[in-house]
Amino acid sequence: MSVEEEVKRIIAEHFRVSVESLKDDTSLVDDLMAESIDTVELIATFEEAFNLEIPEEEAERNQTVGQVVEYIKAKLAQAGRC
Amino acid sequence: MKVCLFEDEKFDLLYPLTLTRASFELRCGSMTLVERIRRINPGIEASFFLRDHLAPVLRERLGNAVVNSLEDLGRDDVILVNGRWLPEHGRLPIEGDETVATCRGDVVYVRAKRETVRKSLSDSLQKTIENLRSELSVEKVEARMVEYPWPLVQYNHELLKEDFEAYWSKREGVKAMGEMFSVVGDKSLLQVSRSAAIHPFVVLDTSSGPIMVDDGARIYPFSRIEGPCYIGRDTWIVRGNIREETSIGPVCRVGGEVEASIIQGYSNKYHTGFLGHAYVGEWVNIGALTTNSDLKNDYSTVDVYVKGRLMDTGDLKVGSFIGDHSKFGIGCLLNTGTVVGAACVMLGGEVLPKYIPSFCWYADGRLRRGAGFRRTVEAERRVMSRRSVVMSESYVKMLEKIYQDTKEERETLIRKAEMRLQQGGL
Repeated sequence: MSVEEEVKRIIAEHFRVSVESLKDDTSLVDDLMAESIDTVELIATFEEAFNLEIPEEEAERNQTVGQVVEYIKAKLAQAGRC
Repeated sequence: MKVCLFEDEKFDLLYPLTLTRASFELRCGSMTLVERIRRINPGIEASFFLRDHLAPVLRERLGNAVVNSLEDLGRDDVILVNGRWLPEHGRLPIEGDETVATCRGDVVYVRAKRETVRKSLSDSLQKTIENLRSELSVEKVEARMVEYPWPLVQYNHELLKEDFEAYWSKREGVKAMGEMFSVVGDKSLLQVSRSAAIHPFVVLDTSSGPIMVDDGARIYPFSRIEGPCYIGRDTWIVRGNIREETSIGPVCRVGGEVEASIIQGYSNKYHTGFLGHAYVGEWVNIGALTTNSDLKNDYSTVDVYVKGRLMDTGDLKVGSFIGDHSKFGIGCLLNTGTVVGAACVMLGGEVLPKYIPSFCWYADGRLRRGAGFRRTVEAERRVMSRRSVVMSESYVKMLEKIYQDTKEERETLIRKAEMRLQQGGL
């Protein structure tokens, strides 16, 4: 499974929506109704799934599914794992 | 003669309370078994056997105690004491012939001479005890053995009274007061430390048993305390209605109504809300209006989850059992016999599930994975620092072991809960 597929799978599972319904410009807050508790939980899930350390202030800049995918890819590249 | 406190293989029946501590560190009455043995049998040297990942934390807590050392065991005559035993009046049967005392198959204590221990030593304590069992005469005794969490609450009444007789009533530097507050009942059953403060408009009722207020405790105005009861060191009671058979360990902040419950220590329940027939671990925060049920509406006996299965306690009054570091938001409702693991976070507004695995969150009707290990530890480090306690590296490692050990259960239950939600018409 690619990074993009895994990120989308996690987001879809968390918000109980289908992976297909997630587009790059799907907004976590406006479309998926994410609240602070979702942010905390998603960060922890991504950290565990990709073995990364994700600072909250960085994570909170990501507003859309596409931005999250790109952010995780960049973090993995930074860690030399992508 | 030395005393050696050991955990037997039934430690997991006492989860979630023993996730983070040995069975002999559980509070019942005004003390833990370790404290009771040290205070009531002074001068006796103690060593300890417990699960490996808890050993460094115990060493830190007790200041370089001898822990998990078989070598040390053969150095002296010894009484090996099961950590689940609540000895009467805290006195150990040190005198007498060599023996293995058992109660319903469990070893309660072993009294043996150094030579016998040396002959029986094996590569584990369990095997050593088995060898002693075949070497020595075995006698059956009646003993208060704590097998599950709820007997701790049931025995609390007896232990509070025994602790008062055996220790508090004889303690030097303790005075019975009766000036600024009202005492209902026998004043000699009230023992207040000289460093404790009891404010005006406090009622202390010893009609049903003694009240012990430990060093540095503060009882603020408009609180009522019924004996038998123990208020621990540096604990504050803030407009509390503390009903009989309650033990509150050190450095707690407690208000609202508490009945027949044990709080291990360092936990907060500042506000209005009922806690009854419950056992609360350390570093727990209970938000305003959070309440637990301890009696079913049909007055039938209460079931509690033990190792994944519901078990009939045989008791009508059973509250909740809450692991260390768990946090309740405002207005959480806990069903009768609820079990909450370690480091859980619950948001209120509805009745919580009857079992919440460790490191889980419960919010919006969903069981969740929560903040993960790293962030949970960061948050708990902040919590502990507010009471001037440093979370040591050994402590972090202990929590990590618990996080890993409970992962499978957590994932399974989250998956099942999600499936149930989806089948419910989503």
